Amino acid sequence: MFKSYLKIAWRNLLKNKAHSSINIGGLALGFSVAMFIGLWIHDEKSFNTNFKNHEHIAQVLMNKTDNGETRTRYNHPYPLADELRRVYSDDFKYVAMSSFPGDNVLSFKEKNLNMHGAFMEKDVLRMFSFNMLKGSLDALNDSNAIVISASTAQTLFGNEDPLGQAMRLNNDAVVTVKGVFEELPNNANVFESLAAFSETKKLDFIAPWNLYVSMYDWVRTARDRKLWDNNSYLVFVEIYNQSAMQSINQKIEKVLYDNVSEATKRSEPQIFLHPMKDWHLKSSFKNGVSSGGAIQYVRMFGIIGVFVLLLACINFMNLSTARAQKRAKEVGVRKTVGSNKNQLIRQFLLESLVVTFCAFLLACALVVLLLPAFNQLADKQLVFPFAKPLFWSVGLGLILITSLLAGSYPALYLSSFRPVKVLKGTVRPGKSTVSFRKALVVVQFTVSIILVSGTIVVNQQIQHSKDRPTGYDKNNLIMVEKTTDEFEGKYNALRDALQKSEAVLEMAESSSPMTEVWHSNGGYEWEGKNPDFTTNIVSFYVSHDYGKTVDWEIKEGRDFRRDFASDSTAYVLNEAAIAYMGLENPIGKTIRWYDGEHQVIGVVKNLLTESPFEPVKPAIYSIDYNETNWINLKLTPEKNLAHSLEQIEVELAKFAPDVPIDYQFVDDAFGNKFKTEERMRKLSGIFSVLAILISCLGLFGLATFMAERRTKEIGIRKIMGASIPNLLKMLSKDFVLLILLSGLVAIPVAYYFMQQWLENYTYHIKIPWWVFGLAILCVLLVSLFTVSYQVVRAAIINPVNSLRTE
Amino acid sequence: MLLQLNNIFKWVNSGGQRIFLLKDINLQVEEGEFISVMGPSGSGKSTLLNVIGMLDTFDEGEYHFLDESVHTLKEKHRANLYKEYIGFVFQSYHLLDELTVQENLEMPLLYKKYKGAERKAMVADMLDRFNIVGKKDLFPAQLSGGQQQLVGVARALIANPKLILADEPTGNLNSQQSEEIMELFKKLNQEDGVTIIQVTHSEKNAAYGSRIVNLLDGRKV
Ligand SMILES: Nc1ncnc2c1ncn2[C@@H]1O[C@H](COP(=O)(O)OP(=O)(O)O)[C@@H](O)[C@H]1O
Ligand SMILES: [Mg+2]
Repeated sequence: MFKSYLKIAWRNLLKNKAHSSINIGGLALGFSVAMFIGLWIHDEKSFNTNFKNHEHIAQVLMNKTDNGETRTRYNHPYPLADELRRVYSDDFKYVAMSSFPGDNVLSFKEKNLNMHGAFMEKDVLRMFSFNMLKGSLDALNDSNAIVISASTAQTLFGNEDPLGQAMRLNNDAVVTVKGVFEELPNNANVFESLAAFSETKKLDFIAPWNLYVSMYDWVRTARDRKLWDNNSYLVFVEIYNQSAMQSINQKIEKVLYDNVSEATKRSEPQIFLHPMKDWHLKSSFKNGVSSGGAIQYVRMFGIIGVFVLLLACINFMNLSTARAQKRAKEVGVRKTVGSNKNQLIRQFLLESLVVTFCAFLLACALVVLLLPAFNQLADKQLVFPFAKPLFWSVGLGLILITSLLAGSYPALYLSSFRPVKVLKGTVRPGKSTVSFRKALVVVQFTVSIILVSGTIVVNQQIQHSKDRPTGYDKNNLIMVEKTTDEFEGKYNALRDALQKSEAVLEMAESSSPMTEVWHSNGGYEWEGKNPDFTTNIVSFYVSHDYGKTVDWEIKEGRDFRRDFASDSTAYVLNEAAIAYMGLENPIGKTIRWYDGEHQVIGVVKNLLTESPFEPVKPAIYSIDYNETNWINLKLTPEKNLAHSLEQIEVELAKFAPDVPIDYQFVDDAFGNKFKTEERMRKLSGIFSVLAILISCLGLFGLATFMAERRTKEIGIRKIMGASIPNLLKMLSKDFVLLILLSGLVAIPVAYYFMQQWLENYTYHIKIPWWVFGLAILCVLLVSLFTVSYQVVRAAIINPVNSLRTE
Repeated sequence: MLLQLNNIFKWVNSGGQRIFLLKDINLQVEEGEFISVMGPSGSGKSTLLNVIGMLDTFDEGEYHFLDESVHTLKEKHRANLYKEYIGFVFQSYHLLDELTVQENLEMPLLYKKYKGAERKAMVADMLDRFNIVGKKDLFPAQLSGGQQQLVGVARALIANPKLILADEPTGNLNSQQSEEIMELFKKLNQEDGVTIIQVTHSEKNAAYGSRIVNLLDGRKV
């Protein structure tokens, strides 16, 4: 029996090639989308899970509340780690401090390379269970040691044995390679929680903490003087008992508060543990509480995946039901020869299973084929999980559920035909099945319209933020990080040399790169300030030529000038700072800080130096040649770019021969801030296209069926005088109405979801209404185009032919 | 003269052979005639009717309808011609199942430039003339065959055609229903002066007409 069903199912597939390919193709598309999204979500969720102790690892974060606003920070005072180790040794297996990761220069013989790394306390190797290819987990015990990644070893030493090799770090300390660790996989990063602030890079090396202390005076000072109020260090912990996370949080809550100065106490510093599993998915905080992160995209794409799969199922149901009439005779014959309803249901379900299975295989092939393209798009390195039982069992479940879901309605519908009626040919699809099918089409187009309008909104939001005034000119502007102190004290000579080369119009230095904010301070006082108001203002330490280099816009007062000696203590504020401090007529006002009094000489338009989606923070610009980390260069626009860059490299190398020159274009760095959103735009664009494609496949099938069913009617109408345009209008009207109805359903849903998404950005667009009109129009045009072939064919057929059959 | 066919040939090519569906047909029809076309099944009666009704083309010969030379006309022009002057009645009625009697009657008017009020008046008039006012809201499936054909005839007449083409209009009806339809045709022909060309197998029905055209293998005999 089963074999005979299978045979019939197979023959039916082959007999109706067009119908079968639409069915299998549509379903396969749906499956592929679901697989891509599934693989992506799995990868997102497995972030950092390959650290053996990932369930026990956490990063210590701090909430500070100023003027009613709570901010979450990653940097802590030096003594915190010791305190945690000392007092809570029962809870913490390891407590380890780390510097912020950054680019450092590793020099071996003639090679000078910029490498990304951090200084960390020795226990991190055990904590993060680094796989040491060479050396041991104790490699960081020696304060002149360094451990490097396998690829770093390869770059620096080629095939030589790296162990025991001595090299220079930042042209300062001499370190010896004591270990080589296996490269961390792509979805693992010790510093993942910092991803929101700066680009995450692969870890090339880890240097011992004690080296950090000996290399940098300010670190040593912080240690020796137990400075509880300077926050510069990251702290990681491993706890003994995973379930104790909450109770530990309660215990350590006050550790900081109990030790900091009275002034800092006002900010109510509170520390808590951020478990490793949340570093990637729940990386953002709003007002001190977790406010999502990548998890939002995981959810959003999860929903999209389910919906696209649903669309494909709907096609299947729709097409099978539409074909019911053609199968009606078979049902009648089977019933008269004694087949009962259950057997028929089983038969139709089996057919649905066969189709689903074929679709699944096709989808696997598609995914394997398109995975490289998807990886590039999603910035991932996913592989097809051939050997993963989880994948195949989920796949099997998917096949079963889909075939049941998609096949059950047609099976029940078909098997309920009454044989006598069927054989007499009097069965016509009832109103209810027709409206059921229409409802399904409405669901499909609703989803399509939601996706299309979502894509448009994402696009608008990106465009809006990109068009936002930056307050400086990012064109022809490059920045170079000063990774060694060889540049110190050579500012004027360097500037002269670069300008003489004519490659550079102007040069300036600054403490932060143009696209980030590295420093902020509290403790500012001014006349008329509310004494309860605790200040927190961004600080930019710059050279005199900063304004000219970045071409900022002076609103009031003037730029820094060399010929006014007093400008060395003067402040230039941005507009946000003026509003924040409530200053009226700010020019000439005095601001007090720990180091004395400062006069406001100018106000500039806000410079967009952080997130393009957030308001610009209040900022103070002041002259300080000792605090600068970046060289900013305004290139001469008329000059050949490659040539200019070459000249700049030559000039810089004269001053710092041992430093690799890594320059970055400011407009590129600015563009990088849209990476997540750009990716979101691309993905949602692709999913929209796929959703429309799948829906249109179904629509095409439905139109075919409609044309078949209505040939007689069309013939009669033609004989009665209907023209071809009359008929085209009549035949398309139904589809147009369905799509307009879908639009009505889609608008509020899309509006709600897009509004939710936009809320993530302080600086966001108001959803314009034309978005929905455009989305509906797009879908309408595409679907009219889809049905046009069948509609036109049906309309131009000669009525003599369509009526002859009688 | 209403229409004239001169040496009409129609053929199809099949397997390198030319199969004639109509062969050298000459026919002149005056206004007010009532013609019956007879012949065995497959002799080309329907084909002839379709050619006359301009639903089908022919391969050779001339066809004049009123003052127009149909064989030289463009498709669109031809359609306008039959829309205006010809009404069709079919053996299997060809009413639209989804429409009520009233809507079926109105349907041809939608494709000619009549205003809503005009259409209503014309439909009401037809319902009246054919005594089917009480059935106006029923669907075709709710009517007997005779009643359905009555609606079919009413629909063919509604736009006041000069010519009615009826292909075996009583083929699916019993003898009493047939007689009613034939009486109706006679009345339309005699009282309203409508020209009628009908295809029939029955001598009795053919006798209602004023002239009989016999076909055999696509030829007039
Ligand atoms: N388009 C066509 N192609 C081939 N044969 C046709 C075509 N149209 C009609 N015929 C054939 O021409 C002959 C005449 O058909 P028809 O006019 O319907 O006959 P009647 O109405 O007298 O029964 C039939 O044998 C029919 O099969
Ligand atoms: Mg016939």
